[in-house]
Amino acid sequence: MSQSGGSEELVLASDFAVLDRVDELAVKYGRLAGFEDGPLMEIAIAVVEAVTNAIVHGNKRDTAKRVKMRIEWEPGKFGLTVHDEGDGFDLTCVMDPTDPERCMETSGRGIYIMRQVMDTVDYEMGEGQGTTLRLTKSM
Amino acid sequence: MKVKTEMVGEVGVIRLSGNLTGGPESDEVRGAVRRLLDSGARKFVIDLKGVPWINSTGLGTLMAIYTSVQREEGVLKLAHVSDRIQSLFMITKLLTIFDTHPTTEEALEAF
Repeated sequence: MSQSGGSEELVLASDFAVLDRVDELAVKYGRLAGFEDGPLMEIAIAVVEAVTNAIVHGNKRDTAKRVKMRIEWEPGKFGLTVHDEGDGFDLTCVMDPTDPERCMETSGRGIYIMRQVMDTVDYEMGEGQGTTLRLTKSM
Repeated sequence: MKVKTEMVGEVGVIRLSGNLTGGPESDEVRGAVRRLLDSGARKFVIDLKGVPWINSTGLGTLMAIYTSVQREEGVLKLAHVSDRIQSLFMITKLLTIFDTHPTTEEALEAF
């Protein structure tokens, strides 16, 4: 890894216990990319949400399934790729949790949160291929 | 996560430490509030002093607690909400749902 950029890959268990480590890495590499304060906090929020979604909605909390995560950074840019072993989902069915009729729901906010704080949020999914999520944020 | 409960007068105070992420700790927190509701408490403060951050699943836990307290005509207040949790409330437009206070003492005085 150099100061001009770098990357780190991890294979994680589908267990919420990994989220502390995920948060630490998001802060570490977000800071190396030059983000501070609010934007750095937003990166950490989004990265934790991405892995949470992979564990809950992708791998259905099946501890035999893994989540692959790759963080890439360069000055002024942060990128995350998260891959789960799930069956994917219909992106058009993602609700708006700020809809007054939906605001008291206890789930369904993860993608909305990521979209609010990152520049790009892209999903790729295919039958039997798992789901890949890519997030980016630039200064 | 550690969950400690105590009654301060007629208010059930639930003090949490550790991150609230939707794991087994979420059931523990919900269970603590449920037991206090069953024993007749209707006023609650959740003290988040030891909770640096939560994710959307932890947010769902707080929403579930808020709903169960409200369903029984109770009142829930939050204390010591970190900047990161406050930011999550703002992003999800839940700032107006949760009654937040800088400290547990101020939350208790607000009843």
